[in-house]
Amino acid sequence: MNENHTKACGTEEFDKVYCLGYQVHHEDWSPFLRVNHLRQTFLDREYYVDVERLRLVTESYKEHPVCPRKLQCAYAFEKVLLNTTLYIYDEDLIVGEIAAPAKASPIYPEFSVNWIIDEILHHPFEEREHDQFYIRNDEERKEIVELCKWWQGRTIADQVESRLEEDQKKGSQLGKRIYQTNLYHYAGAGHLAIDYAKLMEVGYNGLIAEAKERMEGLSKRDPEYADKKEFYQALIIMHEAAKKYIERYAVLAESMATEEKDKKRKEELEAIAENCHAIAGEPPKTFWQAMQLFNIATALIQVESNGHSISYGRMDQWLYPYYEKDIKSGKISKEFALELIEVEYVKMNNPTKLKDYGSMALRNGRGFGGESLTLGGVDKDGNDVTNDLTMLMLEASAHTRMMNPWVCVRMHENTPYELKVKTIECVRAGYGHPKIFNDGPAIQGMMRKGMTLEEARDYCVVGCVEISLPGKEYGWHDAAYVNTPKMMEMVLNGGRCLNCGPTCPRWEHCGGKGEHLGPDTGSLDTYQTFEEVLESVDKQFEYWTDQMCSSLCIIDNTHRALKPLPYVSAFFGACMETGKDLTEGGAKYNGIGPQASGIATCADSLATIKQLVFDEKKCTGEELLQAVKDNWVGHEKLYALVNSSKVHHYGNDDDYADELFEYMFECYCRHITGRTNPRGGYFSPGVYSVNANVAMGLNTNATVDGRKAGEAISENMGPVHTDCCSHDICGPTALTNSLTKVDHSLASNGTLMNMRFPQDAVAGEEGRDNLIHFLDEYLAKGAMHVQFNIMSVETMKAAQKKPEDYKDMLVRVAGYSAYFVELGKPLQKDLIGRTELHF
Amino acid sequence: MPQQGNIFNVQRFTIHDGPGMRTELFLKGCPLRCEWCSNPEGLKTYIQPGVYKSKCISHKNCGACEEVCPEPDVLKFVKGKISSIDRDKCVNCLACYDACPSEAIKQWGKMMTVDECMKIIRKDRGYYERSGGGVTVSGGEPLLQSDFVTELFKVCKEEGISTCFESTLYVKWEEIEKVLPFTDLVISDLKHMDTNIHKKYTGVQNERILENMKMLVKKGYELILRIPVIPGVNDDMKNIGDTADFILQELDGRVRTLQLLSFMRLGEEKYQSLDMPYKMAGIKVNRKLFQKHVEQLAKYFNERGIHCLVGTKEKE
Repeated sequence: MNENHTKACGTEEFDKVYCLGYQVHHEDWSPFLRVNHLRQTFLDREYYVDVERLRLVTESYKEHPVCPRKLQCAYAFEKVLLNTTLYIYDEDLIVGEIAAPAKASPIYPEFSVNWIIDEILHHPFEEREHDQFYIRNDEERKEIVELCKWWQGRTIADQVESRLEEDQKKGSQLGKRIYQTNLYHYAGAGHLAIDYAKLMEVGYNGLIAEAKERMEGLSKRDPEYADKKEFYQALIIMHEAAKKYIERYAVLAESMATEEKDKKRKEELEAIAENCHAIAGEPPKTFWQAMQLFNIATALIQVESNGHSISYGRMDQWLYPYYEKDIKSGKISKEFALELIEVEYVKMNNPTKLKDYGSMALRNGRGFGGESLTLGGVDKDGNDVTNDLTMLMLEASAHTRMMNPWVCVRMHENTPYELKVKTIECVRAGYGHPKIFNDGPAIQGMMRKGMTLEEARDYCVVGCVEISLPGKEYGWHDAAYVNTPKMMEMVLNGGRCLNCGPTCPRWEHCGGKGEHLGPDTGSLDTYQTFEEVLESVDKQFEYWTDQMCSSLCIIDNTHRALKPLPYVSAFFGACMETGKDLTEGGAKYNGIGPQASGIATCADSLATIKQLVFDEKKCTGEELLQAVKDNWVGHEKLYALVNSSKVHHYGNDDDYADELFEYMFECYCRHITGRTNPRGGYFSPGVYSVNANVAMGLNTNATVDGRKAGEAISENMGPVHTDCCSHDICGPTALTNSLTKVDHSLASNGTLMNMRFPQDAVAGEEGRDNLIHFLDEYLAKGAMHVQFNIMSVETMKAAQKKPEDYKDMLVRVAGYSAYFVELGKPLQKDLIGRTELHF
Repeated sequence: MPQQGNIFNVQRFTIHDGPGMRTELFLKGCPLRCEWCSNPEGLKTYIQPGVYKSKCISHKNCGACEEVCPEPDVLKFVKGKISSIDRDKCVNCLACYDACPSEAIKQWGKMMTVDECMKIIRKDRGYYERSGGGVTVSGGEPLLQSDFVTELFKVCKEEGISTCFESTLYVKWEEIEKVLPFTDLVISDLKHMDTNIHKKYTGVQNERILENMKMLVKKGYELILRIPVIPGVNDDMKNIGDTADFILQELDGRVRTLQLLSFMRLGEEKYQSLDMPYKMAGIKVNRKLFQKHVEQLAKYFNERGIHCLVGTKEKE
């Protein structure tokens, strides 16, 4: 094998062994005392709801009742930035929050409020089983409810719901949850990485100057003259406000410095003030200033909207010039650069998002989530780009071990050995980062979205596993979760739920009237051939993806009408050039990416039908249908058989089942790909569930693969594991082979694969090398993504027993890592149930 | 008729028997009866059913095994679940295995052609190449089926796949010699240096094993040797010293690695599944202390100039 090498290095040897798996009672992973303190302070803090943004935004909207929408948004943003309380925390070196204290969630009434009122009044956030939030006192509780009431009827959710037809609602979270469009129905879309390089180059002043110039160049003959003018006006108001916000921090830091007794801290506060003055309008001159500008510019995106997955792009690349300059001139040491990175890593955890109950069930966790930081990869000519920052940013990850940032390493044929080892050492430390992406299929996937090769090579990861182009793509990734086993239920039972009956809230409009939820495309007791089953799958998928995608278009259009995003649009070159907001399709590439869950559940179901009903005739379709209607009760023999290795199952390198997985994967992708969206772009399919497979399973009836009602459906690209057993029994290479029989690039919105090895399987130098070699071959076979959990079942069970000792134990959930003890019980169970792979 | 092997397990992606990532084939049948054996399903040369009571979904819900069993009273049930097989009466027809829906009855052993094996082996080629791995045959005693192994290894070598066999070496030299031209690495055990004690615990004397080992070294073959360290059986300093003497004097010290495998209670449920007594049931070990003791032994070997590690690795 060819092996490439790099001279790039951090402060430690590239092959430094951190540890093997999670270690209890460790609070000092970082060599910097400051970082360990900041981290511990973060962990000890509670999650609050903060009223300030809600209060200021509401006031502003009341002050500007008749005014173009974009300007209304701009004034509200300005009002927040000029009035919000500022926070400079002890020992911190970088300032700027999302208009709320650390770990407190602002409220974004522009998107939705009904659930906030409902939950406060009837199911308080404080009493949730997990993902609790605290409101500081009854007065604030009352104020939140009052302010939210003003917004009722004015939000995106209200508007969307007034436009959805019954056929669109019945399959969504408002009905039987075949698909769930929660995220952007109730909140902002986010899921983007801005052009940080340009921001660093021109600063806020440069962007404002460009907007002014372009505004002056507008022609009144342009029918969209007013739309564009208002866009630039709004952008300028917002970026001027950003400058003032930074100046406010400079002033605060100065006044704190004058009062500070400790000499060292005084100097630090003076430096913070100086940095803020420097970047308030002008581009940064130093590494520290670049980090400062990065922090504020990013935080303000989250003041404008609560869309999650505001990602940091290829940070080792766009930040490098500032690092290189300061290191060369001797202005900073490598150690100080690392300390700043670690301080910023801890800070990245501060933004917190209150989610509605339904969205929370789909995705546990109280952070915004999805703040991916991409490292490594290739340049536009295809050359490896590993540099010192690549290594330092991995070191910082191993030293902080927090939920954020979601570090992602891009790998390709020429990834240097040292970077692979460093990456694997982080993986072996068992804190759930980094995730690994494969340039081959990822670049191909980008090109399927119409990008040039040069552009595609500049991809970064956004959110869990979505590949995106910084500063050029507004991909609406993560737009909906699709419960494919629930679609399959329609295939089994003539377009009806298996438990169709008077207990269903929809009974009166549906089954009770003799109607079906979906089209009647046949049922398991009527199909004569297996081909008929597949045709039925295709028809159901077509029907439900029609409902879902048309719903998403309504949601997309409503965002455009009610919540334009001029602040963040400024960081997208094409928006700036054309005067079009991101929500209007101003970005160069515009997508909507809904993702499928439970593909393996469907594949194993099909394999069971094909083998037992049609090939071997061991049972009839009628029997199988009755078995799932009865939730397998009274069908113990069939239940055991279906779960046994005598039936073909996906994940064992067995073509019989793997071909059906491929069929399901391609069927979903085919029905999504090529549809156009309101922003002039295309729909783009993803195949991942993150942890939504657990919530989806809770309201899915029994499935033919041997899953009982309520159990999780299969996760991401992974195989089935039912309460009876895991269906993949042939180890990681067989699983990899199964997984790579499909063309991952078809899922241009990303695929996701979790693998868990217990600590001892990867112990020692041989264990490390085996994992590297395994990874090399895994990538060579064309899988797009992988993430490893190095954690044994015992460790997770121990954490369930003594959560207080495992407060900071991160576990890779799917695309993201979360604190295990904070997860809901069903998700903890799902994680424990996933097959443990051994070498 | 193409060569067939009786194989009781094909394990993909193992890292324990030979370098890198490997596919390992476990061949059925063994001339030894080591008391600590962790693969009792590999002892007999013929195919057998094994019983896993916990997986049985009960006679009431199923009863499929009894319906198909050709002999009366062979299958024994306790509390309505299958618990054992009367091995004296069982004709090993495997009808019960075929009928069982729940994997409560397992099949130990399966006839496979070289071609069938190669189909599985080829699937993980890329992993062998990257990691320096390949194929290992183990058992049982794989060289009881030396013609099959020879054919299999021949094809592997033609396709550039590295080969290794793990053997008791308690076979005629001719059997070994057949396989050697297609073999890259040999793994074997030094269970005890005293031939009488060896016989007591394994059922056979050690002379033939030691002779074969010497011959392998003389012919220049790569050898990994192992001591399954069994408390109270072979972990005394007399035996350890004798083992070192043998390696240094008779084998010229030419052992790639000496691996000490600490005794672990493995395979107990497999004994149960075969209605065989587990002879090590009475042995209680303080894991920590024992592990320390084994590490001391490794230290001793290293001090005597023998590259020795605890576990199945070759590097620390």
